[in-house]
Amino acid sequence: MRKRTSFLILALILALLLSACGGETGAGSGGTTGTGPSDTGPADTGFQGDPNNPVILHVLENDTAKAEGYLEALLTAFNEAYKDRGIQAVDANMDEFTDLATNGPYGYGPDVLYQANDQLMRYAEDRHILPIDVEKLDCYASTPEAAWDAFHMTLDGTQYTMGVPVNVQEPMLFYREDQMPSDWQTRWDRDGNGTADFFENWCDLYALSREIHDADPNKFGFMVSMNNLYLASPFMLSFGNYIFGEKDGVLDDTDIGFSKGQAVNGLWALRQFAEQMNEGCIDDTVTLNRYEKLADGSYFTAISTPDTYSLFLGNLTNRYKQDGLSEEEAAKKAVENLKMVELPGKMPLNGDLSQDSASIAEDGWTTTVVMGGVNGYGISSYTKYREACLEFVNFATSFDMIKLRADTLGIAPTRSDVAAQCGDTADIIFNSLSSGRIYLMPSIKAVNQIWVPCQTVMGDVAKDPFRVKQGEAAKYPGTAELQAALETIDRNIYDAIHTLAG
Amino acid sequence: MKWKKTLDWLGAHLALLIVCFLFFFPVLWLVLASFSATGSIYDLKGFFPGSFSLSGYKTLFGDTTMYDYPNWLKNTLFVAVGSSILGTVLVILTAYTISRFQFKARRTLMKSTLVLSMFPSFMGMTAVYLLMVNFGLINRLWALVLIYASGAPMGYLVQKGYFDSISASVFEAARLDGASSFRVFRSIAMPLSKPIIVYTALTQFAWPWSDFILPNLLLKNKDKWTVAVGLMHLDETQFTRFAAGSIFIAVPIVILYFCLSGFLVTGVTAGAAKE
Amino acid sequence: MEHSLLFLTAVKSPSKRVRASAALMGLGQLMARQWVKGLAYLGALAAFIAYMAATGVRDIAGFFTLGTVEADPWLGTAGDDSIIMLLRGLLTFVLILGLVLLYRSNLRDILETERTGAYGERAPGFVLSMRSFLNNKFYVVALAIPVAGVLVFNVIPIVFMILISFTNYGGDIVPPKLVDWTGFESFRRVLSLSGIKETFFRILGWNLIWAVLSTAVNYFGGLALALLLNKKCVKFKRFWRMFPILAYAVPGFITLLAFKFLFSYGGPINHYITAAGHSAVGFLDIDAGMKARIIGIFVNAWISIPTSMLLATGILSNLNPNLYEAASIDGAGPWQQFRQITLPFVVFSTTPVLITNFIGNFNNFGIFYFLRGGLYMDGYFLASDTDLLINWLYNLSIDNNYYSIGAAVSLIIFLITSAVSLSVYVRSNAYRREDSFR
Repeated sequence: MRKRTSFLILALILALLLSACGGETGAGSGGTTGTGPSDTGPADTGFQGDPNNPVILHVLENDTAKAEGYLEALLTAFNEAYKDRGIQAVDANMDEFTDLATNGPYGYGPDVLYQANDQLMRYAEDRHILPIDVEKLDCYASTPEAAWDAFHMTLDGTQYTMGVPVNVQEPMLFYREDQMPSDWQTRWDRDGNGTADFFENWCDLYALSREIHDADPNKFGFMVSMNNLYLASPFMLSFGNYIFGEKDGVLDDTDIGFSKGQAVNGLWALRQFAEQMNEGCIDDTVTLNRYEKLADGSYFTAISTPDTYSLFLGNLTNRYKQDGLSEEEAAKKAVENLKMVELPGKMPLNGDLSQDSASIAEDGWTTTVVMGGVNGYGISSYTKYREACLEFVNFATSFDMIKLRADTLGIAPTRSDVAAQCGDTADIIFNSLSSGRIYLMPSIKAVNQIWVPCQTVMGDVAKDPFRVKQGEAAKYPGTAELQAALETIDRNIYDAIHTLAG
Repeated sequence: MKWKKTLDWLGAHLALLIVCFLFFFPVLWLVLASFSATGSIYDLKGFFPGSFSLSGYKTLFGDTTMYDYPNWLKNTLFVAVGSSILGTVLVILTAYTISRFQFKARRTLMKSTLVLSMFPSFMGMTAVYLLMVNFGLINRLWALVLIYASGAPMGYLVQKGYFDSISASVFEAARLDGASSFRVFRSIAMPLSKPIIVYTALTQFAWPWSDFILPNLLLKNKDKWTVAVGLMHLDETQFTRFAAGSIFIAVPIVILYFCLSGFLVTGVTAGAAKE
Repeated sequence: MEHSLLFLTAVKSPSKRVRASAALMGLGQLMARQWVKGLAYLGALAAFIAYMAATGVRDIAGFFTLGTVEADPWLGTAGDDSIIMLLRGLLTFVLILGLVLLYRSNLRDILETERTGAYGERAPGFVLSMRSFLNNKFYVVALAIPVAGVLVFNVIPIVFMILISFTNYGGDIVPPKLVDWTGFESFRRVLSLSGIKETFFRILGWNLIWAVLSTAVNYFGGLALALLLNKKCVKFKRFWRMFPILAYAVPGFITLLAFKFLFSYGGPINHYITAAGHSAVGFLDIDAGMKARIIGIFVNAWISIPTSMLLATGILSNLNPNLYEAASIDGAGPWQQFRQITLPFVVFSTTPVLITNFIGNFNNFGIFYFLRGGLYMDGYFLASDTDLLINWLYNLSIDNNYYSIGAAVSLIIFLITSAVSLSVYVRSNAYRREDSFR
């Protein structure tokens, strides 16, 4: 009876063997993370390929660059220039946040990738991206040290540069110029410097918000998702607090400092400003609706990053079109009306935003520090054509391409020569980076663990005023509770990083 | 007595109205949102968009530089139809065999499937990914078909219940006439199993049609994406496009389900009800 | 046991052919002039040996060492990828197991040939024997492919995950770094590290409540709806039934994202609440607590009730209406009829479905991942108060890369759930009826 079972098992084992052997040829030698032709020499920009059979580079850019047509322009320009040198760059055609660590070793990742420094640098420690010999690059001299810092990694005492900076990102204030108080020059420019006070210090922004919100409960002077560490960073980083401490010049992920310095005053200011907002500031509602709400005038200002400029513009243009303007007129009017400025530079040191700004002495202020990032190019360790990648990065960070990028996408370049030509905003952001007003996202893997603990506590604190409005007891009535909340953040981040490590 | 009946009628219909409203309003909201002119969820005044337009659907099919919906749809259709055909064959075969044949490993098989189905599936995802890497099957749509179809027999219980409910005498008669096992399966069992085949095909179609985790793991290139992966990667500001895309993939399923709701009842019931 | 007995019988067999097959798979068959069969056995053995020589032996060694040379992607030096080595070792073990089974079948086959004396001229042709095999062992043919598929895509991943829980894979130790076997270290840490242990039991408690409650809500909700639609006074049943089916047909992830928006601060529900002059309700935010849990149960009911309604409709149609008539003659009211007749009948015939639903709800990943992901609460290690164990597992192993810890936790959960549901299943009516299999 049993004997004929054999045929089936036979067939099955043959099939298994075949598939296993097939896999063998399909995925290279078993159990190794080979990287193709190895090249141990220093990166050199003298690559010469076969023009008839060019090497193909897969370039991962961000979605905005793709949507606005910049990537297309970059690739066309590069392929034209390198036609004779046998290099061809194509869109990697993957999700912009594709994980190099899971895909790269098996040959499915991009060759060159454009990412924010925290994203790119989490690959550095495990050597998924290559150190770059940046001194030979065209952009080296014109890029400030602060931007390079974002891509530095120290390993066994040697410092490596793992990426090439392209642009700086920081939270900015967006507003419609026609929504400015009509009397701002007389009422809101006490120092007469031509810039409204509410763009210069937080107390006046608070006062204005209160005025707007009191006059019409459906309108808000200033809106941000308070649970977003990045966007609401002025409340979290301006008071002598920090993310990771430094030990011997290296970031130390055992020293977490959200509760350090006078951090509690910042959290107090956050809680206070939430009163002048609606519940949308507790979760990511504001982050999602700021474009429409700014366009329809519900929000006077909202925080966002420079790369979202086109979204604000699109919404405002739509608004004008609905009012009956032609496509062209609407676009023109929107461009004229939409403004982007840096966050107010002065924060009251005691965190009390309700003070009259005139009553605060010069040493009663602290400089606003916001979180920022440097976006740039990195080269995958798993690429087969290292020199070709370097050629591409060099080309993509050349003056012309960065200029085109800045013009197309409204980004703030890290190249000083481009920044100088790109108008005020780019120049201001550039200067903020150099002067330390921008706290760069730490370039270590552990930075992944800071977001959720912060988000949880910040949202909870922002909810406090609404608890009071509903007649519930406040959860954070005073500094003691707020300090405890900050310490919770530090502890949770520490636990997330270290409980299970090693 | 009559007023009692009226009251009963009123009560039943009131309850029905409430229930149907509860089931309908999220769907309705999504449909309305897909016709919003501005493309944003926050333009809605409560339920209703500020202004209506077809632009959501137009961009869905017209503007494909960033989000190539028609292509996603094509991929999804391939995976879902493939998995449906292959998966149905495997499930029916498994269920029929376990229901009709008595053999030594039968009990063990039944218990092991129950135990296996309890393991959280994504915990095995790392292994599935590495397996596919090892066999060079990343970015292949038919690899997805293979995985979906291979997993399908795990849910054989419903179909087994159906075959259990067919009287054994039908098969015995055919056996006595000298028909081979395969002939019995093909000529007797299959014609009797139309409802359960339709039900199985439908469920095997619906799962890959809307699954996100597996294709997201195995399809790296955007031109290979399925609709679910694509929709999940839409920018948050693209809400109208999301809603339109969702409605568009929900509609075929809804139509199929309506047309085949009779089979559905048979199918769902088969797993449990016995004579 | 059985296997070694078979081997002994074969070796001690007086027949040359049997001894030949025991020594070299397929040889005896060839001697019996069963060419196709003999060559197939020999071929399989040859393929196996070739495979073992090519990579098999190395894979087995790799399985135990998990790699000795660390790769350096910078220098482009190839090293060992521990995780791939683990997987390939596992695959090789499966192949060895396959060969053992094949060898056993080879012995069975030759013994059978000897017993019946059907060799040489008298042997049935290969085609004929295949046909008779297909007929007599239809179940083997029919189940071979499904079982192989499940083995490769379900069983191997699970075994792989179980093996992972005995390594230190995860955290800082991810490729190209080398992974090591660490025995029960991961389990020890889950049960001893303070934050983790508390989180585990806290979530387990809620997880159990959730599974029981949502299974009950879905089950009885579907039953109630089916009864409502079954009422004689309700006309246009098809029309009414359309709405739940609509909910059934919309893909789950779309529903869940839609509900998240609906309940958010900027969503329509809060729009009407604020328009009515109340202040907005944080249905899903950090201290929503009970509210968020209840919404989770509601949303899950929305998704699941249509299925259980269809189920109940089908079962109710099988119920003999005479029972009700008899009952109402006896003077039983509607409630009594429900309790005495409907409920026992329905519950009786749906025990397996209930178990499946219970497991499904216990491991319901989507609901809270979509509704309330991205919150880590104080007192929970990388989790929030609505997270189920499966969400926590996801946070641990996918979001934070602690694979071995995640695998250990899932193994513990797996042991609990499978023990419970297996014992319920074996006691269940549906399974016991299997004893009286025709």
